Amino acid sequence: MRLEPNQFWSLSEWLFREGSLLYGAALVITMAAFGFFVCYVVAMVRQGPGEGFFSIAKVIYDLFRTDLPKTSLSRIWAIAKLAFLEAIRRKVLAVIGIFIVGILFAGWFLDKSADDPAKLYISFVLTATNYLILLLGLFLSAFSIPADIKNRTIYTIVTKPVRPTEIVLGRVVGFSLIGSVVLAVLGLLSYVFVVRGLNHSHEVATIGSDGRNGVTDVAGAHSHNFRLNEDGKGVTDESKGHQHTVTATKVNGETVFKVGPPIGNLSARVPVYGSLTYTDRNGVVGEGLNVGYMSEYRKFIAGGSLSSAIWNFENVNESDFPDGLEIEMNIEAFRTYKGDIVTPVRGTLILRSPDETVESERVSFLVKESLDRKVIPLKLSGFRLNKPEKLELFKDLVVDGRMQIIIRCEDSQQYLGMAAADLALRAGEKSFAWNFFKGYVSIWLQMVIVICFGVMYSTFLSGPVAMVATLASLVLGFFGANIDTFFNSQYNGGGPVEAVVRILTQKGTMIDLDLGNQTLEQTIRTIDYGLMSGVSTLKSAVPDFGRLGTSDFIAYGVDLFDGLLARHLLIALGYFIMTTIIGYFFLKTREMAA
Amino acid sequence: MTLEVPLTDANPAALKETSNAVLSNNSDSSTAPASSSDVVIETRGLGKIYRDFWGRKKVHALKSLDIEVRKGEIFGLLGPNGSGKSTTIKLVLGLLFPTSGRAFVFGKEAAEVTKNERIGYLPEESYLYKFLNAEETLDFYGRLFDMPASVRRERTEQLIQMVGLQRARRRQLKEYSKGMTRRIGLAQALINEPDLLVLDEPTTGLDPIGSREMKDLILRLRDQGKTILMCSHQLADVEDVCDRIAILHQGELKELGRVDSLLKVQDVTEVHATGLSDAAKDEIRAVIAKHGGTLLQLDNPTTTMEDLFLDIVRESEARPGRRSGS
Ligand SMILES: Nc1ncnc2c1ncn2[C@@H]1O[C@H](COP(=O)(O)OP(=O)(O)OP(=O)(O)O)[C@@H](O)[C@H]1O
Ligand SMILES: [Mg+2]
Repeated sequence: MRLEPNQFWSLSEWLFREGSLLYGAALVITMAAFGFFVCYVVAMVRQGPGEGFFSIAKVIYDLFRTDLPKTSLSRIWAIAKLAFLEAIRRKVLAVIGIFIVGILFAGWFLDKSADDPAKLYISFVLTATNYLILLLGLFLSAFSIPADIKNRTIYTIVTKPVRPTEIVLGRVVGFSLIGSVVLAVLGLLSYVFVVRGLNHSHEVATIGSDGRNGVTDVAGAHSHNFRLNEDGKGVTDESKGHQHTVTATKVNGETVFKVGPPIGNLSARVPVYGSLTYTDRNGVVGEGLNVGYMSEYRKFIAGGSLSSAIWNFENVNESDFPDGLEIEMNIEAFRTYKGDIVTPVRGTLILRSPDETVESERVSFLVKESLDRKVIPLKLSGFRLNKPEKLELFKDLVVDGRMQIIIRCEDSQQYLGMAAADLALRAGEKSFAWNFFKGYVSIWLQMVIVICFGVMYSTFLSGPVAMVATLASLVLGFFGANIDTFFNSQYNGGGPVEAVVRILTQKGTMIDLDLGNQTLEQTIRTIDYGLMSGVSTLKSAVPDFGRLGTSDFIAYGVDLFDGLLARHLLIALGYFIMTTIIGYFFLKTREMAA
Repeated sequence: MTLEVPLTDANPAALKETSNAVLSNNSDSSTAPASSSDVVIETRGLGKIYRDFWGRKKVHALKSLDIEVRKGEIFGLLGPNGSGKSTTIKLVLGLLFPTSGRAFVFGKEAAEVTKNERIGYLPEESYLYKFLNAEETLDFYGRLFDMPASVRRERTEQLIQMVGLQRARRRQLKEYSKGMTRRIGLAQALINEPDLLVLDEPTTGLDPIGSREMKDLILRLRDQGKTILMCSHQLADVEDVCDRIAILHQGELKELGRVDSLLKVQDVTEVHATGLSDAAKDEIRAVIAKHGGTLLQLDNPTTTMEDLFLDIVRESEARPGRRSGS
């Protein structure tokens, strides 16, 4: 799971640190202004510049003077109910059938022998639900108002005291409702599918002569080793991301073994993240190294030096860690010296107080290059101002919930790579079902955004065109992040025009575009720059769906923290307001009978 | 259908005097000047040009229309197909925006939403949601007026009775016949007890009995003090119910006035009598001859509305432009 540092900020951090509140307000204002502008152009064509300006001013006046204050919940509800009924009569519930068929087939091909089948199952259902629901929202919303205009049923609506705001909001509410119903059913089915798909039982296959050590049989493409204590109770080792309990009881003088259901594969760990800084070989705070990967997600520290990665934690509460500080890390090793690739690279971990006067002894570890857990006991030995001392974790190292964790690489010529989200404290566990539910809330928010866009486009475009426009917004939202790379100097191959020229002249993306004509090359680059700037501007008007997706949290068994969900809720609200304003203007200035 | 509108507060002033006046040839002043508060619909130089996507002119559907519809009257728009009747109605309702001129309803600009509180509109065809049944339809439109549930239920019941759809009340509209669709369309238009009813060809799709009932209903609504703007090319309908008419042709106003005075041909006298002996008839002929007149006809008159209409259309085609004196 890849988390950017800003993704685990709390809601208030997000609102105030990055100026997102301002950004969101600016976006809504810009888009409203954009809506005004488009309407003005339409009005100008219709009535000439002077009259056009007058009529657009009247539209704005009407919005705040009468249409918004007079907007009635009862009318919105009437239109929402109609949209809901319409969707039902259009047989959208068939989507549920499609989904059932889909998961029945998936039951066959999902690989239970994978390393972490839970992740596979959860990812599958969440991704399938996500796409299905977004498509449903797209089809429902893009076609409805155009259909009303085509069938002229809109005549009997707009000749009643119905305001354009109510038409837009009613549709959005109605389709969101039907979407919620479908999503709820898909969610329940998915939950059952995941829980049942991962459930399996083992028998004890062999038991050692001591009657303590044993192996279970193979079920779901794996088996477990276990060891019982004197009471005849034990826990198996971890395989495929889960464990079982094993109990031995004597019945009529014979020992009967009982292996419990899988535990730990459906989890919602609560991580506490910190902010990460790097220091260079001399211990001076710096950027971290780039070892030449395309992606700069992880930065590296050099081995055998003072180069270190320092996490600053702010919410370390004693009550969350009754049995010691559990640390989860996912550190990557980069070897420049590859003589021996079997021996793992060694790292050390140190806990330090925020004022940097007290630190723990080094904890050495071998880099596992996959999720690794360490538990730091609550009482440990360390140093205060470099003098050895017995320390208590929550008395000496954690001050006001703040603490540092430092990681260094022990092997010179090797490097360790990490991003902020690669080290987290595990503060207990929440219910998986609840986390699963939050994942669906997140999908629901995406669906509402798609519906808002669909309804907005359908106020001025015909059905199919509105659908394509919504789809284009979606695609732009999912892949828009890639557009930024064009503006980075690293991007090779240029923009669309240059790409076409390269294809026609059979030039790869890594060689110079040498057309033997400086002006021509410059022209191509300028056009490309203009085009990409345009697309980039558009991109900032559509939601970043790539970021809004949260299925990784659920799949990796990490609690989807409420701050992130609340942030997505705010983003959705922003787009809701923006699309409502634009939809209002288009409906208001549109001739329904033309 | 049984069109039983409770005749609650019948407005005697609005009651139409008996038409087909016997032995009348005086040209009484056709309309009394209405005070401005009496004007329900007013159009000033109203014009509409339909344009295509690129803003190029397609049809000049309405040219500078000036009419006033007064409170309590039935105003008919008459004209051949494509003459601009529906266009006028859509402009008045704000479904279209005028290219020139303005339209006012209850003194408000036609595009104003608030005017709709007092309007009922029956479109050319009943554009309703086919997947709803009669009850759901009326309930839905009632909600659009923010009517409380009890009032909605009561009105729905009353209107279903009135348009005679009791037996089809739970059937989806997509199963309805043309006439049934028309009826539910009318019920929908009356849900808010409107002061102004706008009816686009109210009798199309109805059988003779239904059409008669519709006309009776229109008259009864007028008697309750409601104002009605309707359009039709069913001349008989217009003649039967309208107080005043405007005749449109190719988007131009050709004739405007009270139906009775428009149908009156100034220098022709109609005599209707019964129980006359042949001798008496001869005597009448003699009297006419004595005064220098010629007897044209002495039996049942034909529908002169048709004549008037055809006359205007023919003349308009021969000499395009605004008819003098209208
Ligand atoms: N949406 C439109 N786009 C382009 N032209 C239109 C449109 N609606 C009507 N017209 C044209 O405007 C003119 C007037 O049409 P209108 O519907 O007002 O006629 P009408 O008097 O109601 O006719 P009918 O008796 O057939 O209903 C016609 O020439 C028609 O083709
Ligand atoms: Mg018409």
